[in-house]
Amino acid sequence: MPPIGFDVSMPSIGLAGLLVGIGTRYGAGCTSGHGICGISRLSPRSIAATLCFMAAGIATVFVTRHVLS
Amino acid sequence: MSAFAAFASGLLFGTGLLVSGMADPAKVKAFLDVTGRFDPSLAVVMASALAVAFVAYAIAKRRSASFTGRAFDLPASRTLDARLFGGAIVFGIGWGIAGVCPGPALVLLGAGHAAGLVFVVAMLGGMVAFEVVERRGRAKLVPVAEDA
Repeated sequence: MPPIGFDVSMPSIGLAGLLVGIGTRYGAGCTSGHGICGISRLSPRSIAATLCFMAAGIATVFVTRHVLS
Repeated sequence: MSAFAAFASGLLFGTGLLVSGMADPAKVKAFLDVTGRFDPSLAVVMASALAVAFVAYAIAKRRSASFTGRAFDLPASRTLDARLFGGAIVFGIGWGIAGVCPGPALVLLGAGHAAGLVFVVAMLGGMVAFEVVERRGRAKLVPVAEDA
């Protein structure tokens, strides 16, 4: 089994799951939906969504790892 | 045949996520940690997946139905709206907090991780909350919304 590592608490995982659930529905897609399927169809919505969630993910990791801790 | 194709696709997808490291939250966060311990290897995973999917969609475009005889159901919308951007940003924040997105979450659940279970239950909760808010919104604007 390949390694699987979590570095956040259970409440944070719960909050993350909630945001991912809401965001997936509002944004009509996720990493595989927009990031793989949508971009490979050259969908402008998927390209825009992927840029947005990559930027938000990078900003979140920056804030949680390098600003708050 | 359709159920078998769905099962085989899911098995292949899940195995791919596990083997590539996409299902490892620590690796996903290292991919997003561009100013820290940055690990760009998932970009190679994404590029390879895109190359395969690009060919698959090129084949699909020349067909009227899938190999199992089902009609294709591809999204037609091309408009960029606030919902798309807002949803993608909310998704990205959640993705950045845990390093988990929906596909890998199911892999973690299947692998028996307690954190996978917590994430999936919360994610389904978020999806249900979205449905409830959507239905309320629709119920309020019944007569006008038909033309909009």
